[in-house]
Amino acid sequence: MRAALLSGAAALALALAGLGGCATSDISIRSLPAETPAADNAAAAYAAEFAATAGGAAPNAVAAAPSPPVTAADAPPMTTYDPWERLNRFDYRFNARFDEAVFLPVANAYRRLPSPMRAGVHNFFGNLTEIDSVINYTLQGRLGRGVRSLGRLVINSTLGIGGLIDVATKLKLAVAPTGFSATLGTWGLHPGPYLVIPFFGPSTLRDGIGLAADFGTSYGINIANLYRGNKTWGLGALNAVDQRANVSFRYYSSGSPFEYEVIRFLYVRKRLLEDAGLHRTRVPKPPRPGEAAGQ
Amino acid sequence: MRHRCARAEIRTLAAVAAVALAALLAPPQVHGAAQPIGDPATGLADSAALRATVFGTPPQELAPQPAKVPLSEIDIAMPWRRPVPAVFWFDRRLRVWLSAQRHAAPLAIVIAGTGGDGDTSKLKILRGALFGAGYHVLTMPSPTFPGFIVSTSSTGVAGDLEQDSRDLYAAMQQIVAHLPPRVKITDIDVLGYSLGGANAAVVKSIDAAEGRLKIHRAVMINPPVSLFSSMARLDRLFALSIGSGGAGVERFYQRLYAQLANVYRASDEDRIDENFLYSAAAVVFKTDAEFAAAIAFTFRLDLVNIFFAGDLYAGTGVVTDPNHPPQVGQSLEETGRILRGKSYSDYFSTVFAPYYLKQRPHATARSLIADGRLDIIATTLREDGDYYAQTNSDDLILDQRELDWLKATLGPRIAVYDHGGHLGNLGDRRQIADLLDMLAGRWHAAAR
Repeated sequence: MRAALLSGAAALALALAGLGGCATSDISIRSLPAETPAADNAAAAYAAEFAATAGGAAPNAVAAAPSPPVTAADAPPMTTYDPWERLNRFDYRFNARFDEAVFLPVANAYRRLPSPMRAGVHNFFGNLTEIDSVINYTLQGRLGRGVRSLGRLVINSTLGIGGLIDVATKLKLAVAPTGFSATLGTWGLHPGPYLVIPFFGPSTLRDGIGLAADFGTSYGINIANLYRGNKTWGLGALNAVDQRANVSFRYYSSGSPFEYEVIRFLYVRKRLLEDAGLHRTRVPKPPRPGEAAGQ
Repeated sequence: MRHRCARAEIRTLAAVAAVALAALLAPPQVHGAAQPIGDPATGLADSAALRATVFGTPPQELAPQPAKVPLSEIDIAMPWRRPVPAVFWFDRRLRVWLSAQRHAAPLAIVIAGTGGDGDTSKLKILRGALFGAGYHVLTMPSPTFPGFIVSTSSTGVAGDLEQDSRDLYAAMQQIVAHLPPRVKITDIDVLGYSLGGANAAVVKSIDAAEGRLKIHRAVMINPPVSLFSSMARLDRLFALSIGSGGAGVERFYQRLYAQLANVYRASDEDRIDENFLYSAAAVVFKTDAEFAAAIAFTFRLDLVNIFFAGDLYAGTGVVTDPNHPPQVGQSLEETGRILRGKSYSDYFSTVFAPYYLKQRPHATARSLIADGRLDIIATTLREDGDYYAQTNSDDLILDQRELDWLKATLGPRIAVYDHGGHLGNLGDRRQIADLLDMLAGRWHAAAR
């Protein structure tokens, strides 16, 4: 416990040092993980060829769209409901600074590890989330999906050696995680106001509650006793670093003072679109005049 | 333990942004697919040019790239930097990227196009090709990128060809002087795509007079000939495909949202991720008008930042109050809403021209337009054998007269390809092979 506290204090000190000031030196040169353009292009070309031969997963079936189709008049307004904007903006700036000073450098260092090792870590944590997916698919009444997640969990935990290898995807059981926020959405709960959560990033009230509930579920089930004791902190940190290393977003790489607005706009539109997808047969409610999106 | 949600969302957001900013998105699966016959051409560009511009070079046609490219990120503060406006607190230092060889080698400095930072996907393609050919590669943002405007520009009002290039040139000197000693440079070349191409040529011409970097060759890839006329063409494309003003943008958004919603509801997807958006783009973007809208809209997004920063620095008071500049934490939604309706010509007439007319007592609106033409270095381009250009006969930022001017001025030092639109063939085998030959001084039009 003491070790955990000490390391926690050290991390906090480091974070504060990083967050405390803006750049003090005139120049900094940071080495990044090498780019691998040849492999990236080969992968892209392979994907293109695969899509061409297999017909791809392109949703060409627009004709089969549930009637009646969404029209331009159903689109939510361009303004976004954000009653907690001051706090959200503060959190966004905090996240940007934390990311730049601590999270991103650590993730970049992590990306230098051999890729099979990183894939193992990624698969391991991905496999743990299947438990939560099974529960939430059941709560949503989507049993087929639940069985698929359960199948993935069983296959990857056994054949995949405790989740280190994603055998299920190779067996055409594609990963499709869900969570409590989607469950609440299925039950008809609105996403609620936009919310920027410290350390986590863009969210909505419902997504924030979902995040807490998902963690609570994992904590309560406590699979293989992973969620108790000092190792929990190490595993949590590793999970966070793995997630960050797989996200190419970088705060303020746009250089734009409108970044907060743009991210908020995109996040809320994406959430509303996905919610509409949860009720694929239901017609969306057209916006009332003068109402902001997400209200 | 479940950090997945929020973080994974961010990644998806980046992808959503990619579609919203559609011009840079290159869904490999759509390329080469049968092209549906759509609306009549916009009159400014043909179908193939529009599609090539949006999709870029398909991965299987890219020139070979090296397996590994080392990369460093350099953040550098300019000695002449000015106080940074509060809302730009994150843009204090200029950020550039360096890929250094282990041995002595020539340095290729690459400049991004309008609004681009120093690590755009097009710069990545050029970086790979140039590093593979043995160059140290330094990639720099466009002088129209907000991070450049704030950290490096001496005016804060972007768009003046010579002034922007002078700022670039000064920044290059700072960067080269601060490179670690292990980076041994034998020679320096500059190149750039789109507006960055014009910047590269002007930078070399300034260096020819001042001699601080001894730049050897310059290559312009799909450069504009007149910034003002290219701006006007993009404004027209926007007006034709989207409609003018904020109402046009709103309609464009509503249409895009509705189309995405229908594709999503018809699909079996659980979440909107990159793969979904890439395949959705193939369904959503079909007609010439839609491709044109995507291109016009992307260029217009870049203007929002240029306009905002310019207005703030010049104190022209169009969207910001010079006496009460916006503060950190203040909502910019209303400002953004107003800026959505502003065109490039609005920027010229309400921010750029008022600022420069005040700075230069003898200037007129007409002379400012003339200063935005490659004409300002026409003699040099004609007579100095170290300037090269690559462009396409269907590049939508040029008209026929401008293309003819480029050909006449550069003579045997320009490669004009039949297809590709604006940058739609950047990175393909032929373009890269020619580029490398040009940089090495062994390219001859006659041999092609």
